[in-house]
Amino acid sequence: MSGVRHLYLHLPFCSSRCGYCAFVVEVGGLDRRDDYADALLSELHLEGDVLGRLDTVYLGGGTPTLMRPRRLRRLLDAIRPRLAPGAEVTAEANPETVDGRQLEALVEAGVTRISLGVQSLQPHLLSALDRAATPDQARAAVACARAAGFASVSVDLLFGVPGQDPDDLHRDLEEVVGLRPDHVSWYELELKAGSALARCGVALPDEDAAADAYRTVVVGLEGAGYHWYETANFARRGHQCRHSLAYWGAADYLGLGVGAVSTVAGRRWRNAADLHAYVAALADGRAPRRSEEALDPDTARRERWMLGLRLDRPLALGWAGPPDHPEALPRLRELGLMEGGGAHEVRLSREGRFLQNAVLGELMEYA
Amino acid sequence: MQQSLIRNFCIIAHIDHGKSTLADRILQATHAIDEREMRDQVLDSMDLERERGITIKAQAVRVGYRASDGLHYQLNLIDTPGHVDFSYEVSRSLAACEGALLVVDASQGIEAQTLANTYLALESDLEIIPVLNKIDLPVADPDLHARAIADLIGENPADVLRVSAKTGDGVAEVLEAVVERVPPPSGDRSAPLRALIFDSVYDQYRGVVVFARVVDGELDRRSRLRAMQSGLALPAEEIGYLAPAMTPTERLSAGETGYVVTTLKSLGQLRVGDTLTLDDRPAHAPLPGYREVRPMVFCGLFPVDADRYPALRDALERLSLNDASLLWEPETSQALGFGFRCGFLGLLHMDIVRERLEREYDLDLLATTPNVEYAVTHTSGSVLAVRSPVDLPDPNHIEVIEEPYVRATILVPHDGVGAVMGLCQERRGAFVTMEAIEQRQQVVYDLPLAEIVLDFHDQLKSRTRGYASLDYEPVGNRAGPLVRLDILLAGDPVDALSTIVHRDMAHARGRDLVERLQKTIPRQLFEVPIQAAIGGRIVARETVKAKRKDVLAKCYGGDITRKRKLLERQKEGKKRMKQVGGVEVPQEAFLSVLQIGDGGS
Ligand SMILES: Nc1nc2c(ncn2[C@@H]2O[C@H](COP(=O)(O)OP(=O)(O)O)[C@@H](O)[C@H]2O)c(=O)[nH]1
Ligand SMILES: C[S@@+](CC[C@H](N)C(=O)[O-])C[C@H]1O[C@@H](n2cnc3c(N)ncnc32)[C@H](O)[C@@H]1O
Ligand code: SF4
Repeated sequence: MSGVRHLYLHLPFCSSRCGYCAFVVEVGGLDRRDDYADALLSELHLEGDVLGRLDTVYLGGGTPTLMRPRRLRRLLDAIRPRLAPGAEVTAEANPETVDGRQLEALVEAGVTRISLGVQSLQPHLLSALDRAATPDQARAAVACARAAGFASVSVDLLFGVPGQDPDDLHRDLEEVVGLRPDHVSWYELELKAGSALARCGVALPDEDAAADAYRTVVVGLEGAGYHWYETANFARRGHQCRHSLAYWGAADYLGLGVGAVSTVAGRRWRNAADLHAYVAALADGRAPRRSEEALDPDTARRERWMLGLRLDRPLALGWAGPPDHPEALPRLRELGLMEGGGAHEVRLSREGRFLQNAVLGELMEYA
Repeated sequence: MQQSLIRNFCIIAHIDHGKSTLADRILQATHAIDEREMRDQVLDSMDLERERGITIKAQAVRVGYRASDGLHYQLNLIDTPGHVDFSYEVSRSLAACEGALLVVDASQGIEAQTLANTYLALESDLEIIPVLNKIDLPVADPDLHARAIADLIGENPADVLRVSAKTGDGVAEVLEAVVERVPPPSGDRSAPLRALIFDSVYDQYRGVVVFARVVDGELDRRSRLRAMQSGLALPAEEIGYLAPAMTPTERLSAGETGYVVTTLKSLGQLRVGDTLTLDDRPAHAPLPGYREVRPMVFCGLFPVDADRYPALRDALERLSLNDASLLWEPETSQALGFGFRCGFLGLLHMDIVRERLEREYDLDLLATTPNVEYAVTHTSGSVLAVRSPVDLPDPNHIEVIEEPYVRATILVPHDGVGAVMGLCQERRGAFVTMEAIEQRQQVVYDLPLAEIVLDFHDQLKSRTRGYASLDYEPVGNRAGPLVRLDILLAGDPVDALSTIVHRDMAHARGRDLVERLQKTIPRQLFEVPIQAAIGGRIVARETVKAKRKDVLAKCYGGDITRKRKLLERQKEGKKRMKQVGGVEVPQEAFLSVLQIGDGGS
């Protein structure tokens, strides 16, 4: 049971930056992909000692598929010896960047799960989001992914997009269900500091509109047989994302790449977000860490609550530790926000899941 | 110094007309301070005052001046507070002078405070030297305003001095006029000591410092002093004058102005207007004009964080050292916990105290709606002073409620008269007189102080686009049909939100209030009804809907810290709210009671 079992690799290259995106992204710079892959492998070598048998690997971005299969294969070859049997290996992909051949190559390289950034299937919303893919490309990507033989096909969608009216949302819902993905992540659009969308000062929908949209998504996907297993995630039986579940279970993980975050044995660090600095540090044989924090027991406990309550399963107090304000529990039950659970576990009610932050605010100190 | 060579004078002016700038110029012209030493405005010594551009505490600066007659004069420039809240203090400062420079902005002309101060100066029999300031401004109209000022004080327009405190133009003439026109003091140096206390401050190093004008007799460093009205003994450590630095001296004699450093450790019983005399050779009678100042405006002050209650008490104690007119007593609110009911001379005084508490003592405070003191006659015949709405007895036991009225003088351009009268009418004003002064109308109304304490100033400004100026003075109590308006949150009355209002306005104000609260109280985990009630009868209702969504959609390994920080910030926000019967109420909600819309129509 020793060693970190979850590995994240950040692949930052994108052909342009979408208006809502504030991830660590490198626009252009494709000629640096080989240097970057080298750096990643050096970092893997440098940090690899903490790793145990890997249960999950996640290639996230950016646009990992811009690395092309050759480089991804190189990376995966280096990781493969560390994989536990039955490991889940996910790659994110932007629909316009993939075709059948490439997806097959990913499967061959050992990727078992693909997460396609669809965001919406309505042309006007895609353009509002600066997305390069057309709805047709998104549909085609799902079909190709199926054909390529991934064990799990997931799509990312957004609600709360400015200009997205209830009809748009219903159409997206209908079409997504029609694509029959195994897994759906349906996020509420966030205005992230530093994104073009935040800068231009658009207003997101108000709380009631957002609440309506959220409920539409939850009810719609549940009606189509998906299990609402996490705040923004839905899966058919057996298709929950094990890598994300590790995050929500407060497991340790190692993150490699620019801006990647790791949490290992009570320490959390973040890598330099600048590609040059990252590559240069590793070329020197140095760890490219930029910041580090120690998670004291209280912080860790509060994080377990914060993460654990996202899931549709009871939070075991023996695992999570006590809440800061147990006296709030009866009132939360009375308000219908928490339910069931014995003396040893707590669980949000369905209504409570929509108010997760507020419930946490009642139970925990976060100071 | 010979009395014939002493001049005691002050400067009176509407705010921003240039009192401080002119004072600086005078000090400069008499070389009391050199330019490098001169901070912006010497007489305004506290930061807070500087920021607000007003003077709270009067002090006296002595300068030497060689006049064109070749003689060497001692000029004492006595600073006066510039706001209606402090009119008693102003009157005491004036009483320490023989003359006053009446400074009027040559681009603005006479304002309400100009009038109020002029009347005060005339009452004190001061020689008034009218001064038009800011003649350097292109928009200045000195001829026009000189005529108006001359009219006001019954002088010749030609005698109105014209200066620019900015450029220094005309300042020499001002000094000459002080020497020529202000009469010298005429006290009896051999009589028993009588010195008028016109100001006092508490200095953390020196203790209580009293500023006094010696009217009769002599104040000696070795004298044993007593304040006649309060009977308080004032052991003197040092006497002297400000030049403008503290300059010790052996004695101050009739006609002179200076300070006494006492061994007192708090202003406590000491009152402005009191008369200093000698313990062993007391004067027959104190100087006239002494008044007990009574706080006019009250509000509850509560620490946002209950743990800071002792800190608030300490801070109030410290402030009281230096502010004898600040009143405070413990108060317990069901909604806000432990705090203090505080009494102030007026709204400005209240703002200053609150700001000092928050800034200098690092306190986060919740203030309840300010109110006035009501005299309530119980059916049993006893009379009760009610300083907090919650203390109002059951309506069935009230014979009469009386509330303080003020006579408000408002100066406004002719086209604003309608708006001003409308506002005064809405605020239960009784018309007194109206008269043209210069290009403007002077409108006088008797108004309940309670109405002014709300947002009268702001309304006056917004309805006259800033062109009206206001001054007021108390004119005693009057009876009225007053009721208590209660606010209920989630069914429970919130004591801190209760107000006392006129019966005819109660409905409208109740409706206005619940609407305002509905907008300021954030959505909670459950629906929160907000109701306004008079004597248990609900007159208005709104609801804050329950929260329907509060999640962070995406949370992956890279942003666990970010999400945790978000929750920390949310928690911070929560801490700034008050838990009132399970409802989280932001501080602004308590303030929203202050803004009563367009007058409850
Ligand atoms: N142009 C001009 N501005 C002046 C003159 N005297 C004062 N001021 C300005 O008027 C404003 C108010 O002056 P201040 O002395 O603070 O007024 P106080 O409130 O009466 O003490 C300040 O911005 C001064 O700089 C003057 O003679 N000419
Ligand atoms: C790491 S991102 C990028 C993946 C890929 N490059 C793409 O754009 O499809 C993964 C997902 O995060 C979601 N996301 C990105 N920015 C977001 C935002 N501002 N608010 C909510 N979700 C966001 C999108 O659904 C996106 O598919
Ligand atoms: S949303 Fe995806 S494709 Fe768009 S800039 Fe961000 S990482 Fe790149």
